[in-house]
Amino acid sequence: MAAEVARLFAERGVTFGVREHDGGMLHRPIPMDPLPRRLAAAEWQSLERGLLQRTLALDAFIQDVYGQQRILRAGRIPAQLVYGSSSYLRGASGPAAQRPGQIAVAGIDLVKVNGRWLVLEDNVRVPSGISYALAARWAMRKLLGRAMPAFGASRLEDYPRRLRAALRQRAPSDGELVVLSPGRLNAAYYEHEELARLMECPLVTGEDLFASHRGCWRRDGTERHPVTAIYHRFSPDYLDPLAGFSGSVIGVPCLISAWRNGALGLANAPTCSIADDKSLFPYVPEMIRYYLGETPRLDQPPTLDLSQATQRRHVLAHFRDFVFKPVDGSGGKGIVFGPIADGEQRAATAAVIEAEPASLVAQPALDLERLPCVTADGTIEWRRCDLRPFVLLGSSPWVVPGGLTRVAPDSDAWLVNSSAGGGVKDTWVAA
Amino acid sequence: MGGRLSVYAIAHSSRHRYPAVAQRSRNEVRLQPRKTAAQRLERFHLEVTPDAELSSSVDYFGNAVWLVSVEAPHLELVITAHSEVRVMVTPEVRLDRPWERDRLARDPALEFTLPSPRVPRLPAIAELARTLEVEAGDGAALYQAMGRIPEHLAYLRGATSVMTSVADVLERRVGVCQDFAHVMLALCRYLGWPARYVSGYWVPGEDLGTLESHAWVEVATPEGEWVGLDPTYATAVRDHHVSAAIGRDYDDAAPLNGVFVAAEPGETPEVEVVIRPLPDLPPRTGEGKEPRGGGAAWSLQ
Repeated sequence: MAAEVARLFAERGVTFGVREHDGGMLHRPIPMDPLPRRLAAAEWQSLERGLLQRTLALDAFIQDVYGQQRILRAGRIPAQLVYGSSSYLRGASGPAAQRPGQIAVAGIDLVKVNGRWLVLEDNVRVPSGISYALAARWAMRKLLGRAMPAFGASRLEDYPRRLRAALRQRAPSDGELVVLSPGRLNAAYYEHEELARLMECPLVTGEDLFASHRGCWRRDGTERHPVTAIYHRFSPDYLDPLAGFSGSVIGVPCLISAWRNGALGLANAPTCSIADDKSLFPYVPEMIRYYLGETPRLDQPPTLDLSQATQRRHVLAHFRDFVFKPVDGSGGKGIVFGPIADGEQRAATAAVIEAEPASLVAQPALDLERLPCVTADGTIEWRRCDLRPFVLLGSSPWVVPGGLTRVAPDSDAWLVNSSAGGGVKDTWVAA
Repeated sequence: MGGRLSVYAIAHSSRHRYPAVAQRSRNEVRLQPRKTAAQRLERFHLEVTPDAELSSSVDYFGNAVWLVSVEAPHLELVITAHSEVRVMVTPEVRLDRPWERDRLARDPALEFTLPSPRVPRLPAIAELARTLEVEAGDGAALYQAMGRIPEHLAYLRGATSVMTSVADVLERRVGVCQDFAHVMLALCRYLGWPARYVSGYWVPGEDLGTLESHAWVEVATPEGEWVGLDPTYATAVRDHHVSAAIGRDYDDAAPLNGVFVAAEPGETPEVEVVIRPLPDLPPRTGEGKEPRGGGAAWSLQ
């Protein structure tokens, strides 16, 4: 079975990139485990409500910090966490930044620890991974053939159609919808191609587009097609060299001006990065209470504030019990995992904690739920797994049933990230 | 609003020569004088060669930003901002009582106490504070810092560029107004005061021919006023300054920020600023003209 799904993934080219020593990107098939994870309907429904609540609160937070900043004036979140964040993109401010639906798609990382679900991370900057969940489902259908419907897994194949509808909803006029990718040097390039294909949109890079404050156009030979909304896979500070990181050579000048001017839809909005800042993560429950007036439905592990000397001393004394994350990182980049860190990593992390305590957060290292997986020689071993469900904010919000289950590469491994060699498995939510 | 009134005509021109044909270019221009209690914008006119599309918007800091888009291939781009500004003398506000910590924590001015891309936190700033004998406390420290920065740094035209870091300036002890402003910002923030960068012009009241653009800082009082301090001339801002843009540091308030599509990188533009005092005419009234063809736009307050 393991060999069969591996063959299916290789044939279909379901790949994730790993950085090579020469700086290039090698796209290799992502490991796929043939034993699906199953979630009971009641368990899923409770997660679903919590995920929706969280995404709506994050969306309200983004609109607020680019607008009235009510939550900061009320003293409910320390204002320096926003003002001092490298993910606060001032060039995106304006009326467009204050409309609901800054987030089109959110990927929220969940883990199960001792039978209890916890949120580990919110991804609304450029959430990735849905195409691997779709591929895993496709492979299971191939594998199980006519037996598949008998398992009653909720469908997730609606995702591309619904993402397209969410994009159309953000379009100010007629015109093309396109998928904008940084190109093959991005590890998730497979996903960019796949989503463009499934959404029936042209896949473009920055070179194919040009923009002014009046809008955006796609060049095709000598023709120019007006573009009305873009599903982009850029870190937003690279989208437009005028509005963000001025050294960007992959962005499109004036793209954010067009968006600010209401002449272009962007999903997700370039404002979203701020909600991914890990120093703000501890305050998401506060956002839920403040904007929605509700009690948070999902729990999250405590996050230690390393700018406080007592907490700093504590994590340094109990280094092996913690995981350290850069506040502006994503995709597992720069994460130091206490239980497996070597002496060198430990010393380097301690130095950063002393010099730039606000650049990192610490969370307790959690022993994730292990699920049975098939090894290369056909035996079963239990590997740590997480779950990344996806929430779409379209005309009516929708949570993809299940999402992407990520699997550690072997039974000793702690990290499930694809960049750390992790794989995926299908996730079946009982209908 | 009483006191002496002065009107100045300012022409700020920048010429970009590209080493190879630029297929198109996009420039953000922050040259439209701000509308504040201390200055009134009588006229503003942006002139661009070759033909360009112009549009204006308001940025995060409240600056008027003109976006200049050139669609045709060009080797040279000349952007000239013509302004007429009435400078007024407003009651002097002194920096006095310091901020209470709790109050500042919830005030939007907090943003301007934090390090910014061009004004990072540096150990050299604590050292400089000791050298200049300034300590955290009331506003007197800020006047002390402003007065003594020119003793510590030599003003030397051409010694630095727009990219020069504060660390470099402190090490070499030379700079221009932009560097003086960055050092002053670092000191204000080190002392716990919210301080922002101001780009604009020095208008001495007499015809001095060709000048340069200028930069200084503004410090927020707990009452919500922003008080201008100019470390280059070691003077509080009264009626010899016209401000065009504000921000955390130079990068937010840069007069020009542009990109162009060409085979080779470009050079630093040549900038020319001409400021003339005008006979004091009655303030203009009436409607602004519509944007004109041929790459020019008019804006009236």
